[in-house]
Amino acid sequence: MSRTVPRRRRSTTAVSLTRTQAVVRGSVLALGAIAFLFPFYYMLIGSLQAEPDTSIAGAFPDPTNLTLGNYAAIDSRIDLWSGLVNSGIFTGGVLLCTVVFGMLAGYALAIMRWTGRGATFALTLLIQIVPFQLLLIPLYVLITRSYGLGDTYLGMILPFAINATAVIIFRQYFLQIPGELFDAARIDGAGEIGLLWRIAVPLVRPALVTVVLLTFIGPWNSYLWPFLVTKEAGMQPLAVSLANYISNVAASTANPFGATLAGAVVLAAPVVVLFIVFQRYFISTDIGSGVKG
Amino acid sequence: MKKKHFAIGISAIGIASLALTACSSGDTGAASEEARGPITIWYSNNAQEVQWGQATVDAWNAEHPDEQVKGQEIPAGKSGVEVIGAAIVAGTTPCLVFNNLPAATGQFQKQGGLVDLSSFPDGDSYIEARSGAASADQYRSADGDFYQLPWKSNPVMIFYNKDLFAKAGLDPENPNLSTYDEFLDSARAIVSSGVAPYAIYPSPTSEFFQPNFDFLPLYAAETGTSIIEDEVATIDSQAGLDVAEFWRTIYAEDLAGKEPAQADSFANGQSAMAIVGPWAIPVYEGKVNWGSVPVPTKDGTAPEQTYTFPDAKSVGMYTSCKNQGTAWDFLKFATSVEQDGKLLEATGQMPIRAGLSTEYASYFEEHPAYVAFASQSERTVDDPTGPNTIATLQTLRDFYTKAVISGEGDLQAELSQAADDLTAEWTRK
Amino acid sequence: MSSSSIHAAAAAGATRRPAQPDAHGTRRRRLRKVLGPHPLGWLFSAPFLVFIAAIFAYPLGFAIYISFHDYFFTAPGVVVDQPFVGFDNYVRVFTDPKVLQSLGNIAIFVLINVPLTVVLSLVLAAALNSVVRFRTFLRVSYYVPYVTASVAVVGVWLFLFSGNGLVNQILGPLAPEPSWLSNASLAMPTIAFFVTWKELGFYILLYLAALQNVPKDLYEAAAMDGAGKVRSFFTVTVPGVRPATVLVLLLSTITGANLFTEPYLLTSGGGPNGASASPVLVMYQEGIEQGHPGYASAIGIVLVIAVLLIAFLQYRFAGGKER
Repeated sequence: MSRTVPRRRRSTTAVSLTRTQAVVRGSVLALGAIAFLFPFYYMLIGSLQAEPDTSIAGAFPDPTNLTLGNYAAIDSRIDLWSGLVNSGIFTGGVLLCTVVFGMLAGYALAIMRWTGRGATFALTLLIQIVPFQLLLIPLYVLITRSYGLGDTYLGMILPFAINATAVIIFRQYFLQIPGELFDAARIDGAGEIGLLWRIAVPLVRPALVTVVLLTFIGPWNSYLWPFLVTKEAGMQPLAVSLANYISNVAASTANPFGATLAGAVVLAAPVVVLFIVFQRYFISTDIGSGVKG
Repeated sequence: MKKKHFAIGISAIGIASLALTACSSGDTGAASEEARGPITIWYSNNAQEVQWGQATVDAWNAEHPDEQVKGQEIPAGKSGVEVIGAAIVAGTTPCLVFNNLPAATGQFQKQGGLVDLSSFPDGDSYIEARSGAASADQYRSADGDFYQLPWKSNPVMIFYNKDLFAKAGLDPENPNLSTYDEFLDSARAIVSSGVAPYAIYPSPTSEFFQPNFDFLPLYAAETGTSIIEDEVATIDSQAGLDVAEFWRTIYAEDLAGKEPAQADSFANGQSAMAIVGPWAIPVYEGKVNWGSVPVPTKDGTAPEQTYTFPDAKSVGMYTSCKNQGTAWDFLKFATSVEQDGKLLEATGQMPIRAGLSTEYASYFEEHPAYVAFASQSERTVDDPTGPNTIATLQTLRDFYTKAVISGEGDLQAELSQAADDLTAEWTRK
Repeated sequence: MSSSSIHAAAAAGATRRPAQPDAHGTRRRRLRKVLGPHPLGWLFSAPFLVFIAAIFAYPLGFAIYISFHDYFFTAPGVVVDQPFVGFDNYVRVFTDPKVLQSLGNIAIFVLINVPLTVVLSLVLAAALNSVVRFRTFLRVSYYVPYVTASVAVVGVWLFLFSGNGLVNQILGPLAPEPSWLSNASLAMPTIAFFVTWKELGFYILLYLAALQNVPKDLYEAAAMDGAGKVRSFFTVTVPGVRPATVLVLLLSTITGANLFTEPYLLTSGGGPNGASASPVLVMYQEGIEQGHPGYASAIGIVLVIAVLLIAFLQYRFAGGKER
């Protein structure tokens, strides 16, 4: 992927800082990193404590007070594997729909001229503004009663199926492609589908990573909707069963502090690991066009 | 350009939604009180009740191969009301929920979600025979019928930590906790002696059900009546003022914590008393050497006459149920003398059954700690049953957190205002 | 569904471009006149249009409808009286002290969260952009809160900021009393701070991207004029990322106005005394817990209109010159 260009630019701006400025910059960045990471560190430490310790000393590991018991308690109560599989199917479905249909829509909104294009784009923006809780019950009635999709993966996926932000990002990428490319191909007699497949898609491949990572977070972490739609414990995504564990079950365990934090670690771990593995593809420039407008 | 986009967008929404509303469905399969076949039930998600629920379902299934019951833990949020309310609208409720909040019954009934149990030929007679007519009556809806079977209660009492009381120089066997003055004196002694940071620690948060564990038990003890009688709030009275004043003093003198506790503060010794029902006994097992007394009253009512909040759960049958005949049979099976006994055994919670202490005499002999709760379960005042119960309780809670916990404003004026608000909320269309 | 939208859009006389001359008969030409020069655009957008109609427009239209009624959600087949009540629900919105308080709360939230977000994300992004060592580590650490579920991180914050939590232990005698989240004047600022922390990674990302588009010769020119790093930050970087700033401003205002999860989880329903209740939380309690969906919808619609208005004003006055 096109990483070389931004690299070179960055290094030119990196030179010629005075020593003090470099120190200030370094400390700002380091302070930021501590502020962002410390709660996660504390989460991990707290989840391993046999007895809760909220004192300052409790922020450091104490070998006499370490246990995996909090995790064992979760494992005995929740089917973690089935939760992980459900989360995977839920998130995978959303990603698939968003990438396929979102890209088509982004292409149509950017490249093609058709009646209603402006209205569609305005609606796409409006979606960002309306709080989901306002639509919750009508949507719930529609999906479970009218379509009978309660306790199905489809019912979980539908409200998230096409991420409107992803459509906007795709649109911005397609807008950046010089129009001459398309005109030339049209003269060569290529159909719209051919244009999309042979010219547009390869050019916006960097957008895919951005879209996938941004879209991924939504369904993976979402709680309220899958919680309402799934009545069967065997259908619940990990976020739902762990949130239930944290809010209902943890309080009645021997060490609620540790149990809650262990639940939080199990919930956070997969997405953090995935993010660290894939972050190198998540190059900041990928989203650039989304900002440039 | 942008403005135009929005105008077009809005009109597109309008038309699209009209088209969709036109084709929304409204079919219901025929359900009958005679129909039999497989059913689904939900039970609570705490470990002891899950164990009881599974055992009961297994026992039934062994004898009824054609009417299999599928039991599941209730997918609960903070109170379970959201889940059941939404499931009613969608028609995805199970046949029975063994964890209904009586406060939510009026709302579920108005939604058309609950089956009128009185319409079963033996509906009223079964419920009255099991629970006793007097204690069953408060679970009737406004139309006089039962839309819930009062199932079990956790009558709220004052738990106290005997060791901490002894350390503070208080009598651990016969603590002075019966009048407000005695209670406050004991509470002050605990805090000033430093044996615990707090005397008592009811949850100070804003959820609608929290009044059930501070204001309402004491109000029931003081008056024996509900906060709503004949569609009007009763709290603007001397009794209401006394209860509010009592708790306000507790908070004003920092005898109770004002911020949400992160763990059970009675279990970990942060407070010397708790106001809770017998479900918590297993939680305190091995951690606290506790005793229990009824909630205090202004002048010290005798224990055998003191009322309290029952923290009851009922069983509701839902209209989405196809095999209501089986559901009714299973409901009677699960609330039979035998199953009630197993519930008591497994959870320590009190089946709402007349003659509890005599029926399960051997259990109470083995578990003397539970005797007081069995006796207390005969004198309870539950939340009023109506379509706006939850909103009314929320209004009460909003008054309480402001005027009592935070101690803002003139208490009498706030209380009068709250009573008007409660009446308005209760009768809100 | 989509066909009705077609008519809607066509009737509204949406952006019509001159049709390209076409020799394949009048029928096709007429089709193009109605659908635009690339009718295939409809086909490409069809799944998305269906999605908008079903998942967004229909529930929104329905919410608008019920906000004018004394509505009540019932079980399938149950009929209850749901009279038209005109603007009653809306009048109630503007007289309900709870809603007014929640609007005040959200104003506090936005006033703290938005400037903090804009300043911190720009400063950290600029610093991150120029640093060479540890860049991957720093970037990951900034994004991690953003990618983690609220439910998970809320637990840690609760413990950190509780009465005898680590933050107060470190502050010692300086710890506020009552503690952060149960202090009426600190609860909302604490939540605003939490949300800033949680979402900052996303905004840093936006700024990092925007920084790539600031022409480097502007920096060179500024350096030649004798501008130091600090001055060129203000004269080149800040103006250069202005479109991104508008976007950050808009997005953080919108997410702030729709605040729900944090008060729901951090302060157990908007305590103390409703000091941390947000409009969406009040809407959730009224509509889903208390069975007043008509009123709840009215709150939601008022909120949407207010946010549209604010977003429009920000867009105008922050000088967004995007297309």
